[in-house]
Amino acid sequence: MADGGRLPEAALLESLDAVYRLDREGSATLARLAKRLHLEEDDAKSRVRDLEARGLVRAEGPDRLVPTAEGERVALGLVRRHRLLERFLTDTLGLPWHRVHEEASRLTPVLADDIAEALAKHLGAPATCPHGHPIPSADGTLSHEEGTPLHRLRAGQGGTILRIDREEPELLKYLAALGLLPETRIEVEEVGPFGGPILVRSAGSRYALGRKIAARILVRPA
Amino acid sequence: MSLAAGCHPTIDRWRADVTVRLALAGNPNVGKSSLFNWLTGMGVATANYPGKTVEVALATTQFKGQEIGIMDLPGTYALGSTSEDQWVARQALLDARPDAVVAVVDATRLERNLYLPLQLLDMGMPLVIALNLVDEAWRSGVRIDHGRLGRLLGVPVVPTVAVRGQGLDRLMEVALEEARRGGGVSMPRYGRDVEEAVASLADLLVKSGAPLPWELPARAVAILLLEDDEGALGWAASAAGGDEIVAHARAASAEIAGRHDEPAPIRIARERHGLAGDVASRVKSQVRTPSRGQDRFWRWTTAPATGYPLLGLVLVALFAGLFYVGDALSTLLTGGWETYVSPWIRLGVLGVLGEGVTGRSLLWGVDAGVNAALAVGIPYILVFYLMLAVLEDTGYLNAVAFLTDPFMHRLGLHGRAVIPLVAGAGCNVPAIMATRVLATTRERILASTLVCLVPCSARTAVIAGAVSKYVGWEAAVGVYLIVAALGWGAGWGLNRLLPGRSTGLVMEMFPFRAPCLRTMLKRTWHRFAGFVRVAMPVVLAGSLVLGIIYETGLVWAFTAPLAPLVEGWLGLPAVAGLTLIFAVLRKELALQLLITLAVAHYGASAGDITAFMDRGQIFTYALVNTLYIPCIATIAVLAREIGWKRGLAVSGFTIALALLAGGVARRLIAF
Repeated sequence: MADGGRLPEAALLESLDAVYRLDREGSATLARLAKRLHLEEDDAKSRVRDLEARGLVRAEGPDRLVPTAEGERVALGLVRRHRLLERFLTDTLGLPWHRVHEEASRLTPVLADDIAEALAKHLGAPATCPHGHPIPSADGTLSHEEGTPLHRLRAGQGGTILRIDREEPELLKYLAALGLLPETRIEVEEVGPFGGPILVRSAGSRYALGRKIAARILVRPA
Repeated sequence: MSLAAGCHPTIDRWRADVTVRLALAGNPNVGKSSLFNWLTGMGVATANYPGKTVEVALATTQFKGQEIGIMDLPGTYALGSTSEDQWVARQALLDARPDAVVAVVDATRLERNLYLPLQLLDMGMPLVIALNLVDEAWRSGVRIDHGRLGRLLGVPVVPTVAVRGQGLDRLMEVALEEARRGGGVSMPRYGRDVEEAVASLADLLVKSGAPLPWELPARAVAILLLEDDEGALGWAASAAGGDEIVAHARAASAEIAGRHDEPAPIRIARERHGLAGDVASRVKSQVRTPSRGQDRFWRWTTAPATGYPLLGLVLVALFAGLFYVGDALSTLLTGGWETYVSPWIRLGVLGVLGEGVTGRSLLWGVDAGVNAALAVGIPYILVFYLMLAVLEDTGYLNAVAFLTDPFMHRLGLHGRAVIPLVAGAGCNVPAIMATRVLATTRERILASTLVCLVPCSARTAVIAGAVSKYVGWEAAVGVYLIVAALGWGAGWGLNRLLPGRSTGLVMEMFPFRAPCLRTMLKRTWHRFAGFVRVAMPVVLAGSLVLGIIYETGLVWAFTAPLAPLVEGWLGLPAVAGLTLIFAVLRKELALQLLITLAVAHYGASAGDITAFMDRGQIFTYALVNTLYIPCIATIAVLAREIGWKRGLAVSGFTIALALLAGGVARRLIAF
């Protein structure tokens, strides 16, 4: 990496970001990458070649792209920048909500490492972006976490919702309307005895969640 | 789901009556009903949707010479198809097509409360925000710049304190202004990619030329489609060119999901919460840290060590209040009736119709029938609803639900069901009405059935007057134990038989809030009036029929057909079987009537029931009397709350259970 830790050019970073996300969704193939980037497959192929040349992505099997360890680190750095920028645009500049994601995407690739860190310091090292997603730490990684079912937490213990287990779109939607979304901070206030509900506090509101439902909410204990 | 706007008969009538229509929407417990009660008078109609138990209240009011219709939607966190209350709120809104929607938001919890107004704006509803509970927010050190909030959302915002009526005149003026203005609705703006997906889908909808569901704007339908909304997808599946629309929506959802690592409906919810939080943080300032004293005290209600003893006290108080205050009121009312009204009615009826069968039959209806309602339903309903209103308005009801949930869960119910079950021990009528605190029809059927099996004060009187007196207190306890076991078994069995399963508990726990007397009294009155309207005709007609049967001597004709059941199966004298039929008017009548009929049948020596029934028979008699359908008033209320068919099914079930238990007890239990 060149001067002051500037990252490779924007188009490449965009492609790396797409490979990283597609890989996390399931698997990244050339066809999917091209579709995601709105590119012809040949153009996508040349981007992948560039990424491979820099050791950020490698091919696995006949048709699967995986970010290398270095690629994952760079991709997470991008996520960090993007989310810090979103915070900055909302909190400091007071930009209207609907422009934040887009503008942050535009600015992410050109932000140098040291400027990103200065920004983090300026913002007071925020934990999440305005949408509630966690901001990866400067050196840290966001790995796939198993998560602890909410009902295993003790009273007084806090945590962050990782995901809602099992495919239950209705429950997910209902909880989402209440604001109990993945990446939301919660604190267990009380665990009902005799297999009773769990009382959690989140953003100033308190909710009682039945054991069965609590067991489906996976959290990252604090 | 019907897609045309305006298709609910009650709502249509209400629409036709008024010139301006307003709807009140808001999260639960934000003071929406206080606002509704303050704005409207006594005349409130309710609208139900088939198969749904959540109601919508409709009323009309005068404001500056204008006739205004106000609709109170159920309290919900969102408008979707994920739960019954959300479905009803949205459907009623779509059917009523209000000229403006007043979204009531809690100023103390602005972040979470702005979600619903944003969704209403997404649906293209002309909106006014009532920023309620500003006094509480002020006390906890929160200041809200309501002017800025209005500018950010592009809708008028009026600060209010609904329990004291503050700001409501201004709110009405602004809402009427908004209603007059119509159109030109402000739209929230989400992230650009979401907005682009919405815009392109909306374009397609406009181009397709298909009439949009519920006359909604294209943007609203596009958002619903991206949210995977059942109703909107159902519409698209049957619309002309719907395949293309669905395909486009699916592709756009996938695009959003890919970009943000989560399904499109969740991303949209996140956008709304994010925008709500962003707006809230721009208008809110915390001038000092709130005191946590009240909060800490309120936590004692849910901490097990203090919560359970407190719950015990509250339930005992509830029961005692119902038992003693209700009973005192009952005595007062029936005493008043018997002393001041009844003699004149008797005089009038008998004077006009003579001492014959017709006159005496009519008296059963207009005298004994009214007296029965005064003795059973009315006093207990008044007392119970006042107590329930305190539990609801303080927010304590949810603490009750939290603590009792594990036990109720085994019966397929939620913790909230403990309130109707305890109330049932006083009087089943208000208890069944109280099953409204439960969210789904399934839970309400289960709870109503169980309530019917809880011995009310009238049945307790029979158990005490017959079993304790003539058989012994151990036997009386035995009756209770058998009834409790059968009730538990019935709940357990019904939970397995009824289709569907108990949904998990997701419930907001509210902070303590001082109850407002005016609101409580008004709510009690509305519920009471509802009871009188539905139950009184049934009680009066039922009494009249029983009167005719009794006075014409037709009653003895039942002896022969009932003999196999009463004498053969239950082993009771035929006369006892007849009283069981008549006790359906008032359960405590059973004993009284038993003695009257016995004297008529056997002669004066039958004044003591041991003269013609042995101890085992008395036990069986009381058990059957306790188990079968509580009384006419209960049947009327069951029918009102869960529908005639289900009400009669529950009644039939209790009769079968009573006969079964009676017959078995007769054979197994010897004294």
